[in-house]
Formats: sequence, structure tokens, C-alpha cells
Amino acid sequence: MTNTWYLYLFFAAALVFAGLLGLLGKRNLIKLFIAIEVIGKGISLLLLGTGFAKASILTAQALVITYIVIEVSLVATALALIINIYRHTKSLDVRNLAKLKG
Amino acid sequence: MILQTALLIALVIFSVLAIVLKDLLRSAISLAVSSLLLGIVFFRMNAPYAGVFEISVVAGLITVLFILTIALTKSGDEVRESRLVNWVFPVVFVAFIVIDALVMKGLMGKIPALAAGAESGTFGDVLWRGRTLDLVGQIAVILAGVFAVLALFRKRDKHD
Repeated sequence: MTNTWYLYLFFAAALVFAGLLGLLGKRNLIKLFIAIEVIGKGISLLLLGTGFAKASILTAQALVITYIVIEVSLVATALALIINIYRHTKSLDVRNLAKLKG
Repeated sequence: MILQTALLIALVIFSVLAIVLKDLLRSAISLAVSSLLLGIVFFRMNAPYAGVFEISVVAGLITVLFILTIALTKSGDEVRESRLVNWVFPVVFVAFIVIDALVMKGLMGKIPALAAGAESGTFGDVLWRGRTLDLVGQIAVILAGVFAVLALFRKRDKHD
């Protein structure tokens, strides 16, 4: 059972790190949000993998479903914000957000 | 076990593609494919409800929302990304994978995990009785999301 847990932890860490690298390097707002989604995938894989390895899959499933529901309203709100930012600045470059000051 | 590993490797590859690809539409579709693969992994872990939610909601609904946003912001992919990222990303990622493989085994022993008690009942029992407060929170979050979207898209008054 430890081997499967190792497998899930390994890939979850890889997903989270890929998302963090994307967040650090990219400038397009939609790309940044895709990176956040990838981090979320890593976290839900970690939750379910640990639940599977520790024989408490039902609780882990309930947590993952809670996370997915929250993710949907997060995505809806964030994409609406991105569309509004695009209407104001006519670009999706994250550096232009600094010009919104004042 | 081998199939599961192959699925997980494909999941990581498609997630990295979703971040690296320049075309936004292609990266949204690779994100959907990675959600689909994650859903299949969940099914194979005996977690059918999480798998169904992952495939229907994340691979379906969220992809539609992303594609809608990409269509509404047409010139979005004209953002100039820094060239440094193009070669730094793969190098650092591969380095992390190597470190991950070496270190994770040692870290695993140190991760405090709750003592697992034997679970009884069905998934419905756990969700509706054990985690009732989560469901209330979910309803609140969905309502907050709806109000946020409504507030962001409200029409301006004439006085503004």
C-alpha cells in the first residue's frame, strides 16, 4: 500500500510544482488561471490518493466533491473578473494591471 | 498498477501542455483532457462519485467556461510571454521531477497522517451525516459565486 501512496504523492507534487512554475512565469491572465487549475488537480489527487492509501476513501471523496463545487464558483467568478479586466484594459497582460492604480 | 502509472504520467504531460502551449484554445482543451484522465484515475481508485464530478463538472462545465472566456477576449493570445520561460520551465520541471523521486520516499515517513479508522456505511452516509456542514458551506459558496458574477456583469445606472 505504501507504494501506491508514493505514486500518488509523487504525481501530486509534480502537478503542484508545474502549476507554481506556470504562475511564476506566465503573463496571460487566462494562462495564470489554468495554472491555478493544475494546482487544484494536484491537490485533489493528493487528497484522494491519501484517502485510498489510508483506507478512508469515503471521507476523501466527500472532501474532493466539496473542493470541485467550490472550484466551479471560483472559476465562474475569476473568469468574469478576467472579462471585466479585458474590457477595461483591452489586453490580458497581467503587467497592465499595475496601471489600474488610482 | 501499470495502467494507473501510465494514466498519471499522461495526466502530468497534459497538465504541463496546458501551461506551456501558446494557443489558449489548445491549452484549455489539454486541461479538459487532463481532467478526463484524472476522472478515470478516480474511478480506478474506487471513488466513482468523485470521478463523475471530475469528468462532468471540471472536464465539461469549466472547459466550456474557459472556451467562452477565450472567445470573448479575442486578442488575448497576443500577450508577449517572456522568452526566458520557454527554456527555464522544462529544465526546472525536470530537475524537480528528479528531486521529487529522490526525496519523496524519505518525506513520506515524516508526513503525519490521521490514524485511519475503518469506515462503515455508504458514501451517502458519510456525505450527508458526517460532513453535513460542508454541504451548507457549498451552498453558501455557490450563492456567493452567483452574486459575484451578477455584480460583475450588472448594467450601469444612468447616473454613473
